[in-house]
Amino acid sequence: MTWCARKVATSRLAGAFVLLLAFAGSASAQSGDAGRGEYIFAAGGCAGCHTDTKNNGQLLAGGRELKTPFGSFYGPNITAHPTAGIGTWSDADFIRAVRQGRRPDGAHYFPVFPYTSFTKISDADLVDLKTYIFSLPTSDRPNRPHDIGFPFNLRALQFGWKLLHFTPGAFRPDPSKSAQVNRGAYLTEALGHCAECHSPRNPLGGLDTAMLFAGDRNPPGGGRVPNITPDAETGIGKWSDGDLEDLLGSGMTPDGDSVGGEMGEVVAKSTSKLTPEDRKAMIAYLRQLKPIQNRVRGGGS
Amino acid sequence: MKYFVRQAAFAVGVGILVAATSFGAAAQNPAEIAQRQELMKANGGAMRVLTPMVRGEAPWNAQAAGQAAASARDAATKAKALFPAGTGPDKGQTAALPAIWERKAEFDAIFDRQIAAASNLVTLAAANNEAGFKAGFAALGQSCGACHTPFRRPAN
Repeated sequence: MTWCARKVATSRLAGAFVLLLAFAGSASAQSGDAGRGEYIFAAGGCAGCHTDTKNNGQLLAGGRELKTPFGSFYGPNITAHPTAGIGTWSDADFIRAVRQGRRPDGAHYFPVFPYTSFTKISDADLVDLKTYIFSLPTSDRPNRPHDIGFPFNLRALQFGWKLLHFTPGAFRPDPSKSAQVNRGAYLTEALGHCAECHSPRNPLGGLDTAMLFAGDRNPPGGGRVPNITPDAETGIGKWSDGDLEDLLGSGMTPDGDSVGGEMGEVVAKSTSKLTPEDRKAMIAYLRQLKPIQNRVRGGGS
Repeated sequence: MKYFVRQAAFAVGVGILVAATSFGAAAQNPAEIAQRQELMKANGGAMRVLTPMVRGEAPWNAQAAGQAAASARDAATKAKALFPAGTGPDKGQTAALPAIWERKAEFDAIFDRQIAAASNLVTLAAANNEAGFKAGFAALGQSCGACHTPFRRPAN
């Protein structure tokens, strides 16, 4: 009787163990740290383009319109849904997509997806990020095709664009700079991809690398994107550390206003969620950039 | 003579243009637009009083903090009523986006959050609760941004 009871107990335990394994398998055994991934997710601002906030869309289910001079792009569904999203992707697929701008089938992404900056994100951070994304609810929302004219709609041409404008490679800390500046560089250049909006672009849509962070007079969304180099007259040279901390932390500007539009979204979804130390690191990084004189506001368009 | 005629024609032309422009502006801009713009400016003034105090760059002054918070509360209460239909960018010069009237309930709810955040600060200042005030200030800034992000046209 005791033997029998023990046998039943053992088999129940084994059954529970098998169930547990099956459950872990169904969550496709993500290998990273979801908690760290959530922080990477905020720092990278992924929710912005991949969520149709305006129409109360589900987180990461895609559909947000991005207007560019080449036409309208629609952020894809990157939830872990097996067919509508990226649920079948391996870690290697995910890393290649983000750091090389390639789909699992090899096709090139359009550079509206800022892989040009994301190429600097470490693989370890991306595995954590993927683990977090795969922990979120999935959506079966089908992707909306981009609405761009010929010949810009040809993905094969993106290969040529990459030859001209893309330098793949990991972030390399500069040993001559402090640990804080290097942390800020990683957050600003790689995850935050700040230069993607805060720099002018050439007619092919490539970043003007001589003018990085010097602002954009003609951003696709209208308005102006400010110069965030330390130039005293046209950049952030006269802003105090407190001014910059408030801007990144809560969106408040020194004149008592608060940023709206796209930067308002960046503050709400990204920079306000970082630790104060990381915001200070970004500020320290911006402060040591070469000042570039470039007035983006006023004086006509 | 020919010169004079051309001059006169030019002057008349300019006159018509000026009259048309001022008439257009007067006929177009609903009064609410200027009123709410004044209130937003007052809000900016309140923020400029509060920010240095919250950062610790200026000494804590419960009375001044309370006044600024009350002015932000009153401005938000008044401004909430100044966005009736027909005061959008199709009717005058305003940075208010059409999305306000497409999603009015959401828009009004952000104003309610702003009023609640400012009222909370008024109470904290009255109790001379410096730490509480500084902690509660972020909510005020967040509601400013929460509205400016979807509902205000980016500045040129």
